[in-house]
Amino acid sequence: MPRSNSLPVFVFTACACSTFSLHAQGSPFQTPGMPLVKQPVAGQGDGKADGQSAGQSTRFSSEFNPAISFALDGLLTHADFDGDEDGFELELRSGEIGINAWVDPRAWAYGIVVFAEDEVALEEGAVHFTGLGGHRVLRAGRFFVDFGKQMQAHEHELRTIERPAVLREYLGAELAGDGVQFDDWHSLGDETVLRYSIGVFHSLLGEVEEEAGSPFAVDSELKELDELGYTARLTAFTEVGDAGTLQLGASARLIPDFGFELDNGASAEGLDNSVLGLDLTYGWADETNTRRFTAGLEWLFDAGDNGAAVNDSGTPLDPSDDTIDTFDETVNGYYGYVDYAWNQQQSAGIQHSWLELPEPGEPTLSELDVYYTHNLSEFGRLRLGLTFVDAESGADGMIAALQYTNVIGAHGHGVNF
Amino acid sequence: MRLDRLLLRAAAFLLLALSAGASEKLRVVTTLPDLADIVRQVGGARVDVNALVKGTENQHAVVAKPSMLIALSRADVFVQIGLSLESSWVPGLLENARNPRIAPGKPGFVNGSDGWPALDVPASLSRQGGDLHPHGNPHFNLSPRAGRHLAARILAALVANDPAGRSEYEAAHARYALALDAAEARWAKAAERLRGVAVATYHQEFDYLARECGLVIVGTVELKPGIPPTPAHVIGLVDAMRVRGARLVLTGAWSNTRQVAQVAEQAQGRVVELPHAVTNAQGSDTWIGMMDQIHTKLLEALDSLPRGP
Repeated sequence: MPRSNSLPVFVFTACACSTFSLHAQGSPFQTPGMPLVKQPVAGQGDGKADGQSAGQSTRFSSEFNPAISFALDGLLTHADFDGDEDGFELELRSGEIGINAWVDPRAWAYGIVVFAEDEVALEEGAVHFTGLGGHRVLRAGRFFVDFGKQMQAHEHELRTIERPAVLREYLGAELAGDGVQFDDWHSLGDETVLRYSIGVFHSLLGEVEEEAGSPFAVDSELKELDELGYTARLTAFTEVGDAGTLQLGASARLIPDFGFELDNGASAEGLDNSVLGLDLTYGWADETNTRRFTAGLEWLFDAGDNGAAVNDSGTPLDPSDDTIDTFDETVNGYYGYVDYAWNQQQSAGIQHSWLELPEPGEPTLSELDVYYTHNLSEFGRLRLGLTFVDAESGADGMIAALQYTNVIGAHGHGVNF
Repeated sequence: MRLDRLLLRAAAFLLLALSAGASEKLRVVTTLPDLADIVRQVGGARVDVNALVKGTENQHAVVAKPSMLIALSRADVFVQIGLSLESSWVPGLLENARNPRIAPGKPGFVNGSDGWPALDVPASLSRQGGDLHPHGNPHFNLSPRAGRHLAARILAALVANDPAGRSEYEAAHARYALALDAAEARWAKAAERLRGVAVATYHQEFDYLARECGLVIVGTVELKPGIPPTPAHVIGLVDAMRVRGARLVLTGAWSNTRQVAQVAEQAQGRVVELPHAVTNAQGSDTWIGMMDQIHTKLLEALDSLPRGP
């Protein structure tokens, strides 16, 4: 399996950089033979003496700058696990810069750059093309895939401090893909909306915490069409009575080809994995819209090659001849929650997640989260959470966490309902 | 079938289809029920109107429902209050509804606050000031003068989107203006008794009403717009109410909280829950009826207070 092929990436990057940088910065003289620089458009200049300002075609005009936001997510945690080291941790979990703007009358784009654990990553960068008519949207770029009710959301936007265990284990703590997604909705009567999406991605391997010496999932840089990853979602959203809504959904993530590798070069190739999910969410709000109740359930089935472990049957304690054992048992799990907001600022909830791990014997893992959220303002939030972990194949324990999250500026992701 | 009969039937069908199209009502969707009522008064039988939210809801934080998306996707005209009142939920709905007839800038998109002189326009935009509305206080539907302004905006919008109905719309608007004349006279008379009365409010939603009635607002229970009170702020507010003789705390259904009751109790006053939008309840199911009820409730509350210092 080739691990790198930098030529197409280089060509693409070079083209993108040359085009965008020239358009963004312009030149005092546009001489024949230079790449075409966008000329000032009537009504877009600032009317100043030089007559050159035209939004994005000059260096110093900020008239068409995008909306910018910054989100901070900080955690104070105390972990207490059987047979493990206990203690406090104070961390800035993430700092997230977001930009949003319309590109032209038919498309808007956004970018999300995240600083987390001393790394900087472009978590999302996508354009939503809305010029297809009807309610159709074509999204292209890198973005969180449309799976269930939570995978589109970033961690700092969740109801709980962490994503439910079953999602983390089967899909990853976060699941972004480089690809395209088609999205559309239709009405059924006056109170029901049916939405569907289909996505094609280069890679759909979720973000997982890698353990030293363990196999890690890898994807080919060059793929055949039938090796690309696919997502699909169908959801119906309807009203129940005067104050309630009910949403029912089905999601799929298919990875037809991927592999596992070890640091010693050992690999397992030609693997495939499918995750299917069913979700049900009920929401209720009182007549003032300040007291709200939400209950949700999402059930996932993970099939195909869904895990790997080191096979140390060679020379004992010598990792150089280790190989990889893969697991392919179909496992399932769920999370369910109830959440109640009794006024505009305060809410509390309880969430339970249970799953079978894709390891020999299919040991189970369950997590119980109890949380209280206080919205200090529209843009500042304090949350206290307790997580009780019960693991058949690991340590049981408890994590207490205090989370502070704030957002400054106009913040938004490409989330759909 | 002979060709001439076939043509005759086709022509009759076409005529029927055209006449059916001509008699179809203008589909109007509004954010607040206040706007829906005024559209109904001016549009009469030519419009089919519905409001997205109930009059009891917190208008700042509405939870979107499927019916809202569907209604907006089918609408010919959309009317909002504006001044960022609906900014947390309407843009997302419009984006998903993808209805070009009601896209901002199109004749079907009507911003009710256009041309309205807003109060409380922030001198500087910073979240230190709480959940500020950049263009000023959006709760102008509670001004006794708002009905006339909104009716004029809605008349213009209906005529622009349905020119064939111009004479009907203008006649209905004229009738509504007469009803407003009579109502405004009633409210002006009530205001004579309310002028100079000191009050506190939970949120800055009664600023326009206070200005027209001459009520003096000594403070809000909220620390800043959208920011709940701190104990120190409550103590300061109660002190200010005592010093200035304010014994009424005005609130809406969505904001009638335990804190409001505490402030009223400590200031030896009482809570007055006023409609903050048109509701389904009898008496406040039209905009004029709602304003009548607001003035009546204020006068009753004033009369219920013990006389003397």
